[in-house]
Amino acid sequence: MKNKIFILIIAAIFLAGILGSIYVMTRPHGSRVDIIQDGKILYSFDLSSAADRTIDIEYNGRINRVRLENGQIYVEEADCPDKICVKTGPLHSDGLPIVCLPNHLIIKFADKDNDGSTDADVG
Amino acid sequence: MKFKKISFCICCFLLMSACGQPDEAGYSESFFADDTFITFTAYGDNAEKAVSAAREKFTESERLWSVTNENSEIYALNHSGGQAVNVSAETAEILEFALDMSERTGGALDPTVYPILRSWGFTTDENRIPSDDEIKDLLPLVGYGNVGLNGVSVRLPENMMIDLGSVGKGFAGDMAAEILRENGIDCALLDIGGNILTVGSKPDGSDWRVGIKDPDGNGNAGVICIADKAAASSGNYERFFIGEDGKKYGHIIDPSTGYPVDNDILSVTIISDTGRSCDALSTAVFVMGLEKGIKFWQNDPFFDMIIITKNREIFITENIFQKFTTDNSHSDMRVNVISNEK
Amino acid sequence: MTAAQMLMSDKGGENMNTHKLTRLALLTGTALILFAVEMQLPYPFPIPGIKPGLANIITVYAVYRYRAEEAAMVVFARIILASVFCGNISSLLYSVSGSVLCLAGMIPLKKFLDAEHIWFGSVIGAVLHNAGQLIAAFFLMGSSVLVYFPFLILSGCLAGGFTGLCAQLIVKYLGRFYG
Repeated sequence: MKNKIFILIIAAIFLAGILGSIYVMTRPHGSRVDIIQDGKILYSFDLSSAADRTIDIEYNGRINRVRLENGQIYVEEADCPDKICVKTGPLHSDGLPIVCLPNHLIIKFADKDNDGSTDADVG
Repeated sequence: MKFKKISFCICCFLLMSACGQPDEAGYSESFFADDTFITFTAYGDNAEKAVSAAREKFTESERLWSVTNENSEIYALNHSGGQAVNVSAETAEILEFALDMSERTGGALDPTVYPILRSWGFTTDENRIPSDDEIKDLLPLVGYGNVGLNGVSVRLPENMMIDLGSVGKGFAGDMAAEILRENGIDCALLDIGGNILTVGSKPDGSDWRVGIKDPDGNGNAGVICIADKAAASSGNYERFFIGEDGKKYGHIIDPSTGYPVDNDILSVTIISDTGRSCDALSTAVFVMGLEKGIKFWQNDPFFDMIIITKNREIFITENIFQKFTTDNSHSDMRVNVISNEK
Repeated sequence: MTAAQMLMSDKGGENMNTHKLTRLALLTGTALILFAVEMQLPYPFPIPGIKPGLANIITVYAVYRYRAEEAAMVVFARIILASVFCGNISSLLYSVSGSVLCLAGMIPLKKFLDAEHIWFGSVIGAVLHNAGQLIAAFFLMGSSVLVYFPFLILSGCLAGGFTGLCAQLIVKYLGRFYG
């Protein structure tokens, strides 16, 4: 009996994890991408229209070299120990951000729907 | 067996919590007050009664503050010939607010600019371009510092005139929203001729989606999501006339020069907790211009703003940036974030 | 007395403190080795924080074989030494906040679990550990890291289950010979 309760609890946690993951990955987002460091937005681009460019983002003397190319954004080089941000590759549309924990850097789609409908117009 | 039942229940619970509540129908009333088209919409059991009460409060306060209505307290004040006049507590409160905002914005907002506004014909729709001398003569009549407010007693120097147009609708809207809340409404949208006040969030719990107009007239430049906040815009795109010289003259007068504001800004939208501060600040920041407006916000970021400039750029304060979406047909407009790092 | 015997013996006599200290030090050393091994494994995930957490086999073992403060000593000594050796001080904060939450969950749970259910405590501990790391990341980097939470729950369940079962086997095996 005890065993079953334990399995059930873990199953519930696991299920919550799966549902949460599905929610995160299917969330609607536009084509705008934010580059965030320490919770502050440093840059924001519309990926569909932004020109190709390379941006160096510094943190305590360490640099992440972010590259925008052909409507994609990725971290080209990083002075961080784990290089997870480089391995992640280009930002995918599945809603998962590129992150560099050591350099406090996050690159993500701005999360919001964009169907243009409004409840009221100001002006 | 029991194991399966319990897991089934847990699954159902998790799935249910992912679904939203169904929309309930709102109750809505539209009316005109002082040439402004107004719609109050409220959701909830008591909506009908609450909206009627709010509408009554709104029209009653608006009437007190009209510059043209001969029975209004402001009209009485403007024709007091320099004598002290006693006003209602509400009028004293809005006057105090307007003067305080004038002080805070360094005179960019000034409720005493009315004589000049009148000389341009914006109050009567008989637009004209006053001569430089005429404006020079009228400028000494502008100065919020000369208004003597002492409790409910107000003294306005002779020939000076007050116009609460820049804050009156927001103030009356705040009072109407207060009435709605007192009546147990926690979900309402007040549209006061384009000044938006929201009570709580939408019935389904999401933010209200408020469109920010493209001042060049092509629909909305973007959408801002707000809840329990007010929004108001200012710009010379809403009311203006083309003079005989072919130039465009807008209805917002710079109190320091006496001429219509003509700077790099097309429109300013303010998002803040009260309608009155949205009204006051949108006018003030518009008068200040882009650079001074940004500095003003950085010194005292108690509100949020979206500025659209003449070269079709959008400037938006960092706190609401995440809540703003550029309209698909306006993706050419560059979005700049105003951060609080000086 | 061999190192293995020192590690297993619970009967210390008058030299209890020295014995125990040595055993705890050995545990810490083992954890450090496991940590170093894990560092060499490839990291295929696009999300930071998803790892087997081999060193936590020792954490779970320590929690179930020793008193709370002793287990905490093993964990924090390992974290501090690991971050010194790897020269990655910035990860210290994540490890500490994860481990605090993990221990705060596992130690009270220990009372309710027999030797057959250590894996359960380990899963809860791992999920809490990941939650703790995420809380630290939230304070450092803002709310956008929170989207990782569901993935870290999944990773915690899997990694916690694995390390828990390992620890459970060790407790069982050592219990049979030395218990």
